[in-house]
Amino acid sequence: MKILDAVLLALRTVWAQKLKSFFTLLGVIVGVTFLISVFAVVEGMNRYVQDDFAGSIFGINTITIERVWSGRGGRQDAETRRRQSRNPDITTTDAAALREEIPDIWYMSYSTERFMPEVRSGQNKRKNVRLIGVTDEYLALQGWEVVDGRGLTRIDDVRAIRVAVIGDAIAEKLFPDESPIGRDIRLGPFRYRVVGVLELQGGLIGIIRDAAVVVPWGAFQADFSRRRNVVRGIQVKFRTEEAMAAGEAVAEETLRARHRLRPGQENDFDIETASEVLDAWNTIKNVLLAAGPGLVAVALVVGGIVIMNIMLMSVLERTREIGIRKALGARRIDITRQFLAESATLSTVGAAIGVAIGTALAKLVDIAFPLPASVPVYAIVMGVALGLMVGIVFGVYPALRASRLDPIVALRYE
Amino acid sequence: MMMPPDNNTVILTRDLKKDYELGAETVHALRGVDMKIDKNEFVAIMGPSGSGKSTLLNLIGCLDTPSSGHYWLGGEEVSQLDDNDLARIRNRQIGFVFQTFNLLPRTTALHNVELPLIYAGLPAKLRHERAKGALEAVGLADRITHHPNELSGGERQRVAMARALVNQPSLLLADEPTGNLDSATSREIMEILVSLHDRGETILLVTHERDIAAYSDRLITLRDGVIETDQRHTIGEPVA
Repeated sequence: MKILDAVLLALRTVWAQKLKSFFTLLGVIVGVTFLISVFAVVEGMNRYVQDDFAGSIFGINTITIERVWSGRGGRQDAETRRRQSRNPDITTTDAAALREEIPDIWYMSYSTERFMPEVRSGQNKRKNVRLIGVTDEYLALQGWEVVDGRGLTRIDDVRAIRVAVIGDAIAEKLFPDESPIGRDIRLGPFRYRVVGVLELQGGLIGIIRDAAVVVPWGAFQADFSRRRNVVRGIQVKFRTEEAMAAGEAVAEETLRARHRLRPGQENDFDIETASEVLDAWNTIKNVLLAAGPGLVAVALVVGGIVIMNIMLMSVLERTREIGIRKALGARRIDITRQFLAESATLSTVGAAIGVAIGTALAKLVDIAFPLPASVPVYAIVMGVALGLMVGIVFGVYPALRASRLDPIVALRYE
Repeated sequence: MMMPPDNNTVILTRDLKKDYELGAETVHALRGVDMKIDKNEFVAIMGPSGSGKSTLLNLIGCLDTPSSGHYWLGGEEVSQLDDNDLARIRNRQIGFVFQTFNLLPRTTALHNVELPLIYAGLPAKLRHERAKGALEAVGLADRITHHPNELSGGERQRVAMARALVNQPSLLLADEPTGNLDSATSREIMEILVSLHDRGETILLVTHERDIAAYSDRLITLRDGVIETDQRHTIGEPVA
């Protein structure tokens, strides 16, 4: 008997007893569903953290120097808060010094931002806007593409020209029917001319960019800043991770010297990198990837044992059939193959159902949450392969039992 | 060493013995059977229960191997073959017809008839054609897609006969083929066997009914594991 005949025979048996087959396969279905879901979520989270989260907020190979301020890091005791409030500001002079000292800089910028209750143009207005004053390399450093008009230049900054590059959400709201380029917007009492529109980012964290108004540092200083030359953050981007690590060390040394910190004294500033976030995520991911296969394995073994039991019952129920087949010329290998193909087909069908459910779950997560869950192809291949394997491994014993039946005894079996 | 049988001999046995261990006791089911059946004979075997009838049938049908002695089937010594070779012999040389029909319940008449061809390794298309032909030959052309539970007892036995013949075996083994049928249907089945015999088939029939045995042209009776009588008679003539 050929393998294909055996598989067709198995499919016919599975189909003839749909409900029984389903319950038989529950273990394998659950196992593979779980496998697919975990991989989909991990894969999605991975992309989210690496590309969107770490990429957009912190930037790849980018360090951000900030003053340690008391609002951060959750609960702190009063003493810590008091100490932090004495920390010196980060200034444009610090930035200039860092630019001197740090080697291999790709892009460098500094910025300050504030919350604006609204921005308007004629009758149109958009509430809750993030206003950012930046130096010229900021957009390039953040990787924010200008899709309409132009970005900000050094001249804009130095001359404190009132121009603005606006996020997509703001452009939509203020200029629904026309190009915003060349039009004026009102920020508080000031008029700024729109020179560019940022590419839509969308999604959960897109709000950071899409609802932003970016203006030159000089103009921001003149119109909105109460404290001269104080920056919220200095950003330095490097081409490689190694350059970033070296640059981070130089930045720390330089600032410690400028702030006159003695050896052993804690930093009174903060240097952040995306790698911190990535480290945290990698820890979570490793836990998931370590615990995942364990749970999948347990489900598959349980599923395999159920399949083995069902197959043993099936062999018993079909003793007479086995006798008939043997009388008609089936060899041991034919009977073994028939039952092996049946258990393998059974569990592969289960795995396929698991893949379908897992993929549907991932799709659901993708739609319901901003998490971009997606099922990687290798997870599907793995799921089906595991299902097939379970069927073969746990089908061997029942198949061998069936093949060893004595045809005379089997034919007489009632 | 025995001489192998001539071309015209289908079954030849010499001193065929079968012992069973039953606990500490040894049961001598067959105590030495010498038998020769030629091509196109229609032989009935009778005997009371415990006479060794079933044991002999199992040996002739290559479902079992003898404890000692020799058995040639179609010129090949089969008494000492292993499992796989016995399966091949059953597939190619023997067509079984059972008392309980022994059809696979969840498949069609056609698939049942195809089974021996599947194990013979025939491609699907050829299998289909030959199985259809065999069903037509027993008058079931309009029943090929029916499942066994949709068929009458007589129809089921005819499916079983089509299955037994589809691989063109050298021997048709019928074990109480009418045991589960009423007398009208029994007659119908026996008439098919007679016409198969007329066509040239070699048939070995096991029965305990004298009027069924009367369809044969030779009667062998067994008692206590040996052949008691072996006589030819005219078909239809009542047997003693």
